[in-house]
Amino acid sequence: MENMLSKKLNRRRFIGLSSCALAGVAVGSQVKVLRALAMTGEVANVTAVTEKEVFTSCGMCVNKCGVIARVRDGVIYKLDPNPHFLKSRGMLCARGNSGVQSVYDPDRLKYPMIRVGERGAGQWRRASWDEALDLVAARLNEVADKYTRAGVMFASSEGFQEHFFLTFAECFGSPNTVRHASLCLASNMQGFGATFGSNPTPDVLNADYVIMSGANRSEALITPDSIDMVTGNGGKRKLVYLDPRFTKSAAKADEWYPIAPGSDLAFILAMIHVIVKEGLYNRSFIENRTVGFEALVPHIEPYTPEWAETECEISAENIRRIAREFAAAAPRAVYYQGRRSSFFDNDTQMRRAMAILNVIVGNWDVKGGMVPTQTIALSTHDYIAPWYSRLDAGTATFLSEKDGSWKHFRDRVLEGAPYPVKGMMVYKQNPVMSVPNREKTLKMMAQMDFICTIDVTMSDTAWYSDVVLPEATYLERLDPAHALSGIVPVVTYREPAIEPLFESKPNLWIMQQLAKRLGDEVYESFDFTMEEYLEHQTTRNPAILESLKKTGVYYEWTEPKYGTTAGQRLKTPSGKLEIYSERYAERGLDPLPVYSRVEQVPKGKYRIIVGRHAFFTQGTTQNNPYLNDIMPENTLWLNTREADRLGLKNGSKVRVRSAVGEEVLRLEATEKIRPDCVYMAHGFGAMSQGLSKVYSRGGCDAALIEDGVEPISGNVSMHQTFVEIMPA
Amino acid sequence: MKNKRYAIVLDTEKCLDCKACTVACKAENGVPLGRENYRNWVEEDELRGTYPNLGQSSTPGQCMHCGNAPCKRVCPTGATGASPEGIITVNDKKCIGCKYCMTACPYNARYYSEKLEAVDKCTFCQHRLAQGRLPACVETCPTKVRLFGDINDPESEVSKILAKRRSRVQKAEMGTKPYLFYLI
Amino acid sequence: MTTLAALTRRPGQLAWFGFLGTGILIGMIAVASVFLRGHGHALNVTREIPWGILISTYVFFVVSSTGLCLVSSLGDVWGFDKFAIIGRRGHLLAILTLVTGFGVMAMELNHPIRMGIYAVISPNLSSPIWWMGALYGIYLILLIGEFTGLMLGFKKMAFTMGLLGFMAAISAHSNLGAVFGLLDARHYWYGSYLPIYFILSALVSGGALTALIVYFNHKARGKALNPTYTEFMLTMGKLQALFLGVLMFFVVWKIIPGLYGQPPEKYEATMALLTGPLAVNFWMFEVALGMVIPFVILINKKTRTPLGVTVAALLSTTGIFFMRYDLVIAGQIVSMRGEAGHAGLLQYFPSLAEMGIVFGAITLCLFLYTLAEKFLPMEGGHRH
Ligand SMILES: Nc1nc2c(c(=O)[nH]1)N[C@H]1C(S)=C(S)[C@@H](COP(=O)(O)OP(=O)(O)OC[C@H]3O[C@@H](n4cnc5c(=O)[nH]c(N)nc54)[C@H](O)[C@@H]3O)O[C@H]1N2
Ligand SMILES: Nc1nc2c(c(=O)[nH]1)N[C@H]1C(S)=C(S)[C@@H](COP(=O)(O)OP(=O)(O)OC[C@H]3O[C@@H](n4cnc5c(=O)[nH]c(N)nc54)[C@H](O)[C@@H]3O)O[C@H]1N2
Ligand code: SF4
Ligand code: SF4
Ligand code: SF4
Ligand code: SF4
Ligand code: SF4
Ligand SMILES: [Mo]
Repeated sequence: MENMLSKKLNRRRFIGLSSCALAGVAVGSQVKVLRALAMTGEVANVTAVTEKEVFTSCGMCVNKCGVIARVRDGVIYKLDPNPHFLKSRGMLCARGNSGVQSVYDPDRLKYPMIRVGERGAGQWRRASWDEALDLVAARLNEVADKYTRAGVMFASSEGFQEHFFLTFAECFGSPNTVRHASLCLASNMQGFGATFGSNPTPDVLNADYVIMSGANRSEALITPDSIDMVTGNGGKRKLVYLDPRFTKSAAKADEWYPIAPGSDLAFILAMIHVIVKEGLYNRSFIENRTVGFEALVPHIEPYTPEWAETECEISAENIRRIAREFAAAAPRAVYYQGRRSSFFDNDTQMRRAMAILNVIVGNWDVKGGMVPTQTIALSTHDYIAPWYSRLDAGTATFLSEKDGSWKHFRDRVLEGAPYPVKGMMVYKQNPVMSVPNREKTLKMMAQMDFICTIDVTMSDTAWYSDVVLPEATYLERLDPAHALSGIVPVVTYREPAIEPLFESKPNLWIMQQLAKRLGDEVYESFDFTMEEYLEHQTTRNPAILESLKKTGVYYEWTEPKYGTTAGQRLKTPSGKLEIYSERYAERGLDPLPVYSRVEQVPKGKYRIIVGRHAFFTQGTTQNNPYLNDIMPENTLWLNTREADRLGLKNGSKVRVRSAVGEEVLRLEATEKIRPDCVYMAHGFGAMSQGLSKVYSRGGCDAALIEDGVEPISGNVSMHQTFVEIMPA
Repeated sequence: MKNKRYAIVLDTEKCLDCKACTVACKAENGVPLGRENYRNWVEEDELRGTYPNLGQSSTPGQCMHCGNAPCKRVCPTGATGASPEGIITVNDKKCIGCKYCMTACPYNARYYSEKLEAVDKCTFCQHRLAQGRLPACVETCPTKVRLFGDINDPESEVSKILAKRRSRVQKAEMGTKPYLFYLI
Repeated sequence: MTTLAALTRRPGQLAWFGFLGTGILIGMIAVASVFLRGHGHALNVTREIPWGILISTYVFFVVSSTGLCLVSSLGDVWGFDKFAIIGRRGHLLAILTLVTGFGVMAMELNHPIRMGIYAVISPNLSSPIWWMGALYGIYLILLIGEFTGLMLGFKKMAFTMGLLGFMAAISAHSNLGAVFGLLDARHYWYGSYLPIYFILSALVSGGALTALIVYFNHKARGKALNPTYTEFMLTMGKLQALFLGVLMFFVVWKIIPGLYGQPPEKYEATMALLTGPLAVNFWMFEVALGMVIPFVILINKKTRTPLGVTVAALLSTTGIFFMRYDLVIAGQIVSMRGEAGHAGLLQYFPSLAEMGIVFGAITLCLFLYTLAEKFLPMEGGHRH
C-alpha cells in the first residue's frame, strides 16, 4: 500500500516535471521544481547552466542521426538536427523529435525493480542497485553452477553500449548471444554477401533508376536513402515500387505494383531473363569482374516474363519494359536490396537474385550504382573468447556466430537440447514483441530460472522478467564513438545532455558492477572509464575525438568515392562478383537462385504481412507521448471490397486468428492493400501495464505470426502466416 | 531598404507525410499534447482512384501569416497583432478567449491552448529567428519541403524559387493574402 | 413577505422554486466543473467548432432581450397603448435575459476581466465583437435607465431612455448579426443577411416571451385575465402571426441561395440542416415547433385564444432556442480543411457541463424574474 502510494506520488511529480520541460517558458519556476525534486531525491543532480547545446546522436532508431540537444536549466528543451551530420541530410524524424519524451515520460524506468508476484503479474518492488545487482550476480552464478555458463543466454540489439553487454557475455563465458539480425536482415546480408563479398550500399542519391521491392523508405526510414529517394538527382529519376500495400513510398513512386507476396524472385528472374536474352547486360564488366555468367544464361531460360506474370501479377509487358529501362539506365540504376528481409523462406535466394541483377548490368562501384560500403576504423577493446559452442549451432547453413538465429535458438531452449538454457539476460531488446509467435517466447521464458532485463521502459519482455534494471536513456549518457558505414562513412558519439534522472545508470556502469560481483578476472575487462574508452577507441587517430567534440561527427571524406575496388580482390571465394556461387554449390544449396512458389493463401483466409510505421520504431516508441498522440492505436488493414464481402464495417472491432494466436483490433477498410493480404502496424497490443498508453490497446502482430524460418541464414520468415477475420 | 517580410515556400511533392514537422513544432513551442493542439499539420489528401490504380499526396500547413489577416481584424482586444516582418502574433496576456479569431481564420490554423489560457498558433518560431535559427519545422524536415526566408529580399532562396517556379496560395479567393506559397 | 410557511401552503410555488433551485444547482455544478477541469475538458467545443451551445444560448438570450425591448417599447416609446401594460415586465425581463446572456458568454470566454481591461486600453475598432461589447454595454445602461424611469414613473426619462434604448437595441443586435455576418471565412454566415434576420427574429422572440409572461403571471397568481390583458394577448397573437410569417419568408430565402448552384461550403452547411446531422433540429424544432405550428395556431381565429397564443409562444420560444443553436453550429460544421469525415462535416454535441450551464442560466433567469415579480410592483407602467 505504502509502496503504491509512493509510486503514485513519484508519477505525479514526474508528470509535473515533464510538463515543465515542455513549457520552456517559465524558466524560474522550472528551476524551483527541479530543486524541489532534487531535495526529495527525485532527481540525481541539477545542473545550473542556463542554456547549452550538446552534441549527441539520436537513439530512437538504427540511423543514429546527429543531434544537438538544447538544454535549459538542466532540462532538455529541444532536440535539433546536427547540420554537420551529412548522412541524414540535416533532419530529425518524428521519432527523433520525440526523443525528449524518452527522458521525461512518466512511464520510463526509474529504479531497479525486483519482481514479487508471479512472473508477468506485474507486482514489483523497488530495490537499491546493490540489492538488485547482488541478486542478478547470485542468480547468474547459480545457473552457471547448475547448467554450465552456456546455460545463460544474452539477448541484445544494436546500440552504442551493446558492446559492453556482449563483452560481458563473453567474459561470463556464454557463446549464446542472440541478436536482432535473425529477425531483420540476416538473409539480406547473406544473399548480397554471397554475391558481392559484403553488403554494398546503393547510391540512391545519384541513381537515375531505382527499383524498390519490399523496402518502404518513406516510412521505414533509412538515412540517407529515404531522403535521396525523393530528392535525389533533382527528383528527375524514376522510382519503381513493388509492395502489396500502397504505402507512403508507393505514393512517391512513378510506378507502383501490388506484387503477389513472395513472388519478387519471379519478377527479378524475369528481368534477368530479358536483360540476358536481349543482350542488355554489360559484357566487358561481366568478363572482367564476375564469375559464373555462363551458368546464368541457360539457368534463366524458363523464367520468361510471361511465366513471371502468372506468379507475381505484373504484366509481362511491364516486366520487359522495366528490365529494358533498368538496363538502359545502368550503371546509374539500383535494384534496391531493402533492409528487413525476414519475409519468406526463399529470402536469401531472392536477395541473391537482386544482387545478380545489379551485377549483370555492371552496377558496381560506380556513381549511382551499388557502392562498396565504407567504414572508419576505430580501435576495439579485446576480451577473452568463450569455448562452448552455440546452442543453435548447425541450425542454418550460414549461421552468424555473433547473432545466432532467434527462431532456432528458442526451439532448442524449449527442447532443452543439446543443453539446457535457464538464465536470460536481455539488453535493449524486446523479444516478446519482436520474435514471431509470442506464445512460444513466453513459454521459453517460463522455463527460465532467472531473467534480467536492462531497458529504458517496462517493455513486454521486462514485464516478464525477474529483475528490471533501468538504463539511462541515450540523452543521459556519454557513449562510445560509433562508426556508421555507408558511401560516406561517419563517426558519431554521445555527450550526455543531462545527468541520468532518477536512479538510471549507463550500461557500462551496470556491466562493471555485475563484473565486480562475478570476480576480478571478469572485472578486468571492464576496468576503465567511458572517457578512457573513448580515448582508446581513437588512439589511432586523435583527430576523431577532437572533431567529435567540436562538431559531434567525424568524416574522413564528405564526397562519395567510386572505383575504389578496381583491381582489388573482393571478399568472395573467387575474389570476384559471384553470379554463380561455388560455395553454395558445395553446401548443397542452389548456386543460382531457383524459383519456388511460396504457399498460397487458402480460401477464406488472408496473408498477414508486417511492415514499418513512420511514427514508431519497431516494437518500441508506440508509448511515447508525442508519437502516441499522432497514432494512439493500430488497425487491421483490409481491402475495402473484402471488408464489404465479409460485411465488416470500417472502424468496427474484428478478431484476427492464426494457427498460433488471436488478437482483437479495429478494422480499417482501405483501398491501399491487396485483397488477399492484411496488415497491422507493429508494437501495439502490449501486455506490459508499464506501457500505459499501449497496454491492451490495438493488436500485436507477434502474437499472430508463425515462426517460419529461412534455412540458409536462419532468418525468420514473417509473411507466411494466414489468418481468418471475424467480427469481434 | 524595405522591411523584411517572412514567407514559407513549400514543395509538397517532396512531402513524405512523416509528421516530423508536427512533432518538432510541438516540442519546440511547448504545444500541449492532445490531438486538437497543434500549430502545424500534414493533411493526407484524398486517395485518388481505386485499387490497384491509386495516387495520394499530402499537404503540410500552418498559419499562413496572412497579409490581410481576418484573425487580426476581428480580435476585439488587439491580442492578435502583426510584427514588422509580417508575422501574425498572439499576445496571450491580452487574449480573452472569445475564439472569434478561430472562426475567422479560413485555414483552421489556431487552437485554444489550455496551457496559455489563450489562443495559440504558429509564430514562424519568432524566438528561434531571433537566435539565428530556422523555424523548427523547416529545419527538421527530412526532404526540406519548406523553405523559409525574406520575400522582400530578391536574393533570398524563397524569392528565387518563387521567381523560377509557379506557385499557388490556399484559398486565394478569400483575399487573405497568405504568405505560405505552394509550388506547383 | 413570502415565508417558507407561506410557500408550503402553495405547492405549485414550492414545485416551481424547487425546479428553479435544482436548475441553478446543476448550473453551479457545471460552472464548477469548468473551473476545475478546465475549458478544454469540460466543454465539447473543438478547434474546428470553437463556438458551441454556450454561444448559441448567449445569442438566444440577447436576442430575447432585444425582442423584449423592441416589443415592450411599443407602448412607452411608440405610444401603442395596448402595449403599455407590459412595459415594466418586458423591460425587466430584457435586462435579466441580457445579463444572463452575458453570464453564459463569460463561461465561454476564459478571461472576461481581461476583456474589460483591453477592450478599453487597446480597442480594435475593426472587431465586431468589440462593437458588440460596446453597444450592448450602452444598451444595458439605457435599459436600466428606462426601467428605472418606468418604475419610478419618470415618464420623460423613460421615454428618452426608451427611445435611445430602442436605437441601441437595433444597432447592438444587428451588430451581433454582423459578428457572424462579417466572417467571410464562414460562407454560411457571411453577408448582410444575418444583421437583418437577427432583428426580425428578435421580434418573434420578444413577442413570444411577452405573451408568456403575461399569461403565466396571471396563472401563477390564480387570476383570470382581465379584458385589457385578454385583448393584449389577442393583438399580440396577430402581431406574432405576422412576425412568424415574415420569419418563414426569411428562412426560405436563407435556404434557396444555399442550394441554388451549390455554392461551396454554404451548400454543405445548408444540406447539414436539411438532411444532415442538424435535420431533426431543423425540421422538428425550428420549422414545426418554432414556426409552422405556432403560425397555424395564430392565424386560425378559433385557436387564437389567450391560451392558444401562449402555447404558440411556448413552441416558438423552444424552436427559436434550436434556431440559434443550428445557426451557430451550421456555420462551422463544414471543415475548413479537407480532413473531416467522409461527408466533410465535423461533429459537435454539447457536453454535460455545457448543457448544465445552459439549463442553469435559463433557470437562473426565471428565478430572478420570479423574485422581481414577487418584490417589485410590476403592474402599471401605463403612460397615462
Ligand atoms: N520509421 C521507422 N524506420 C525504421 C524502422 C522503424 O521501426 N521505424 N526500423 C528500421 C529497421 S530495424 C529496419 S530492418 C528497416 C526496415 O525497413 P524495410 O525493410 O524497408 O521495411 P518493412 O516495412 O519492414 O518492409 C517493407 C515493405 O515490404 C512489404 N512487403 C511485404 N511482403 C512483401 C513481398 O513479398 N514483396 C514485396 N515487394 N514487398 C513486400 C511490406 O508491405 C512493407 O511495406 O527500417 C528501419 N527504419
Ligand atoms: N512482428 C514483427 N516483428 C518484428 C518486426 C516487425 O516488423 N514485425 N521487425 C523485426 C526487425 S527488422 C527488427 S530490427 C527487430 C527489432 O527488435 P528489437 O531489437 O527487439 O527492437 P525494439 O522493438 O526496438 O526493442 C528494443 C528495446 O530496447 C529498449 N531500448 C531502447 N533504447 C534503449 C537504451 O538506450 N537502453 C536500453 N537498455 N534499452 C533501450 C526499448 O525500450 C525496447 O524494449 O524486430 C523484428 N521483429
Ligand atoms: S531516423 Fe529518426 S529515429 Fe532514426 S536516428 Fe534518425 S532521427 Fe532518430
Ligand atoms: S517533415 Fe517534411 S516530409 Fe515530413 S511531413 Fe513534414 S513537411 Fe512532410
Ligand atoms: S492563417 Fe489564419 S491565423 Fe494565420 S494569419 Fe491567416 S487568418 Fe490569421
Ligand atoms: S480569442 Fe484571443 S486572440 Fe482570438 S480574437 Fe479573441 S481575444 Fe483575440
Ligand atoms: S514555424 Fe515554428 S511555430 Fe510555425 S509551424 Fe513551424 S515550428 Fe511551428
Ligand atoms: Mo530491422
